[in-house]
Amino acid sequence: MMTLIIGGSGSGKSAYAEEYITRRAGNRQKYYLATMQVYGEEGRKKVERHRQLRSGKGFMTIEQPVDIEKAQTMMQDGEKAALLECMSNLVANEMFSRESPLHEEPVVEKIVQGVGELKESLAELVIVTNNVFEDGVQYEDTTMEYIRAMGTLNERLAAMADEVIEVVVGIPLCVKVRNGG
Amino acid sequence: MKLIIGGYAQGKLNYVLKHYELENYVLLDGTLSEAAIEAGNTVILHCFHLWVKDGLKRGANPEEEIRKFVKEYPDCIIISDEVGNGIVPIDAFEREYRERTGRMLVELAEKAEEVVRVICGMGQKIK
Repeated sequence: MMTLIIGGSGSGKSAYAEEYITRRAGNRQKYYLATMQVYGEEGRKKVERHRQLRSGKGFMTIEQPVDIEKAQTMMQDGEKAALLECMSNLVANEMFSRESPLHEEPVVEKIVQGVGELKESLAELVIVTNNVFEDGVQYEDTTMEYIRAMGTLNERLAAMADEVIEVVVGIPLCVKVRNGG
Repeated sequence: MKLIIGGYAQGKLNYVLKHYELENYVLLDGTLSEAAIEAGNTVILHCFHLWVKDGLKRGANPEEEIRKFVKEYPDCIIISDEVGNGIVPIDAFEREYRERTGRMLVELAEKAEEVVRVICGMGQKIK
């Protein structure tokens, strides 16, 4: 099963996603697939805040800033659940962390492929993604390409997902309903 | 307390005035100044997000101030733009402002008896 959770900055999506996967995972081993590359004090604080949120909930953390499908090789045998957080960092890393930037289309295809492989190997996959679409600003070309990649990817992931949830001020709103609850 | 959220220029204040049919209200626009509040008035705090931004610029503690305010006026209506649905700003202050506004709205939503999201002037009750 796959679930896509979308929200803006400070929307409470992370806290909700962690609670959600804990509920869905049952007794299965839970993995946290961290995509953020940490730079500077603010980045460290953010990671620390998320660690605090997760502490005591039994997650094993895998740092996977690019090539998300490789996270499987770090997992133990048996039924597993994973929380991938978050798409906005994964897309930025895939696009911009190489010597020459990767374009929208190959990035989307690469991530869709990687997520597809993960989905197959997991009992539950929960993906956190961001609403980066509604500030009404016309950015320079590179950022607009990034936003388009995020948009296309969200569409593709939502189509693959069994359930899509938008989190607004901490409140989950169901966008795509899982069959059979 | 009721919380009304939505994008910029979505008709949130109009929604409040029409929907709740308030007889006596006082409109605080981006301020918590209590000077205009009279007994029996419903307090509408409009542009909560701008009040947060202003407070952060002054080095104030908006989290504490709004907690106190809601205790004092438990029947108030708080209206705020949703500010987190965009590209993470390059400017550190803008980033902090978005994050803290978002988290404060999550906390207010938890306490609120009703949360409404307004788009095109239409309200969706999400709590």
